[in-house]
Amino acid sequence: MSDETSGAGERFAIGISFGNTSSSIARINPEGKPEVIANEEGDRQIPTVLSYIGGEQYHGSQAKAQLIRNSKNTVAYFRDYVGKNFKSIDPTPCHNSAHPIQSDSTVAFSICDTESDTPNTVTVSEITTRHLRRLKQSATDYLGKEVNAAVITVPTDFTDAQREALTAAAKEAGLEVLQLIHEPVAAALAYDARPEATVADKLIVVADLGGTRSDAAVIASRGGMYTILATAHDYELGGSTLDKIVIDHFAKEFIKKHKTDPRENERGLAKLKLEGEATRKALSLGANATLSIESLADGIDYGSTINRTRFELLSNKVFAQFTSLIEQVIKKADLDVLDIDEVIFSGGTSHTPKIALLARSIFPETTKIWAPSTETTAINPSELSARGAAIQASLIQEFETEDIEQSIHPMVTATPHLSKAIGVEFSSGDAVEFKPLLSTETALPARRVAQYNVPKDGGDVLIRVCEGVRDIKVTKPEPKPKEEKAAEDEEDSDFDSEDEEEETREIVWKTESPIAELAVKGVKANGKVELMVHINADLGLQITAREVGGQSAVRGAVESP
Amino acid sequence: ALSADWSADKDFKAIGKVSAATQRNLEPVGPHFLAHARRKRHQRTFSEDERI
Repeated sequence: MSDETSGAGERFAIGISFGNTSSSIARINPEGKPEVIANEEGDRQIPTVLSYIGGEQYHGSQAKAQLIRNSKNTVAYFRDYVGKNFKSIDPTPCHNSAHPIQSDSTVAFSICDTESDTPNTVTVSEITTRHLRRLKQSATDYLGKEVNAAVITVPTDFTDAQREALTAAAKEAGLEVLQLIHEPVAAALAYDARPEATVADKLIVVADLGGTRSDAAVIASRGGMYTILATAHDYELGGSTLDKIVIDHFAKEFIKKHKTDPRENERGLAKLKLEGEATRKALSLGANATLSIESLADGIDYGSTINRTRFELLSNKVFAQFTSLIEQVIKKADLDVLDIDEVIFSGGTSHTPKIALLARSIFPETTKIWAPSTETTAINPSELSARGAAIQASLIQEFETEDIEQSIHPMVTATPHLSKAIGVEFSSGDAVEFKPLLSTETALPARRVAQYNVPKDGGDVLIRVCEGVRDIKVTKPEPKPKEEKAAEDEEDSDFDSEDEEEETREIVWKTESPIAELAVKGVKANGKVELMVHINADLGLQITAREVGGQSAVRGAVESP
Repeated sequence: ALSADWSADKDFKAIGKVSAATQRNLEPVGPHFLAHARRKRHQRTFSEDERI
């Protein structure tokens, strides 16, 4: 492997999503759009599996197929072991493939990876290097140009040791890791980089539903910059949980007919797993799916079908776990479903229609749910991470290594964020209304400009810049006509237990404390006033207001506290 | 609507201050972050950055 990857000019970078179950490679195509690259077998979701027979190495789908006949020399589900202490890992996913063993303090596998029959101890770092080398080769073959750098996505709970180990393993594979980025942020970037997307302040939940684990994150997107507010993880929930339901269903059917349990036979179980997964995936696309396995157990061939309704019925409980993971992360961020503007479904299991439909039902209608079953323009959830990584790779590949390091340094990323929204208070008569201009959790320094309509007759206008907080107003359904007078009172102390109608909940803004007042005088009728608020990192403010089209502006500064 | 008794020097009156900020980590990803990092490293303001 050549190691001449330090010269920035020589760099050719791709985006890699490296998962426990599958990995993807992506680049920015000549039209400027991110594109996931298929490997030589035509797979875009390349199974993260390596297998060895007679010294020959198999990768991806070919290696995955070896889980039936050659499971001991097949390594799978190893991403989460990279850079980890043996004692801290959960070996469960590897029950049907090469088992992780301890080698010094790290994790290794004992496999026959040469022509000799005596197994070698191969560390998880080395396995990762081999896997990345194959991914690099696939990308290089496709692009016809040596790929030598990458942006790789990692989960938000990856430790520094894991990051270092992954970076080192990639280097061994001849890939300079330009940056490791978080999977949910990559997914958000993949959506925000679409040409039709506009920069807006929004709160996003990314639900990354994988094969063996699922992760959720709440991200504040402010002026196109992302801040993670909370994360939640479930290390036992994923596509394989759903596969098990399909497997158990078919196994029971098989037992009824043939009186033996195919799951008790190692090879039978491996076949069921492989085919059961394919069947479960087919149910995401069609209303029916078939399963057929040659010689499943006792030499008996087996074929059957399952329909989506049946599968959804059997999976109800698991589906609820996915939605509760989403609710959990929102709660952890101290937010409400009403606060969430977008839910991005990422990861292969997000293709399951029912999961997104269940999420649809817990969020308000205004929340965008990005999944294939809820939004026709949704991006393929399996591709989001890799696309995000490719976009980031294209943004930084021209940078000097030192520049990248400095830019992602904590000195730069540690930033004060607004703890309360800043906006404008409007009063007409007795009613006071607050409209946020800078959202909470906006990274500083920040600047926002907005235009407001002035009262019809124009004249002198007072602008009150205030801090505001959002509250959730719960309105009980209108009580029976007799109690009409109390209907308007939101804090009706009369507790009506007979009420079965659902209460309505909405966001209301309240002014908390005023910051400054500005007067724009002599505004024309039907005119508009433009307000610009600039906040420094030290919380000092500069405020400018002027009539749109007018000559003079009112300016002032509020000192930092 | 401006009440008659309102007055201020240059029509601007500072009343309060912004509440203490929360220290959080930005995700170093995307074009807007890279612009932010550039400004921060070179200690440029928004308008200076736009001119370049």
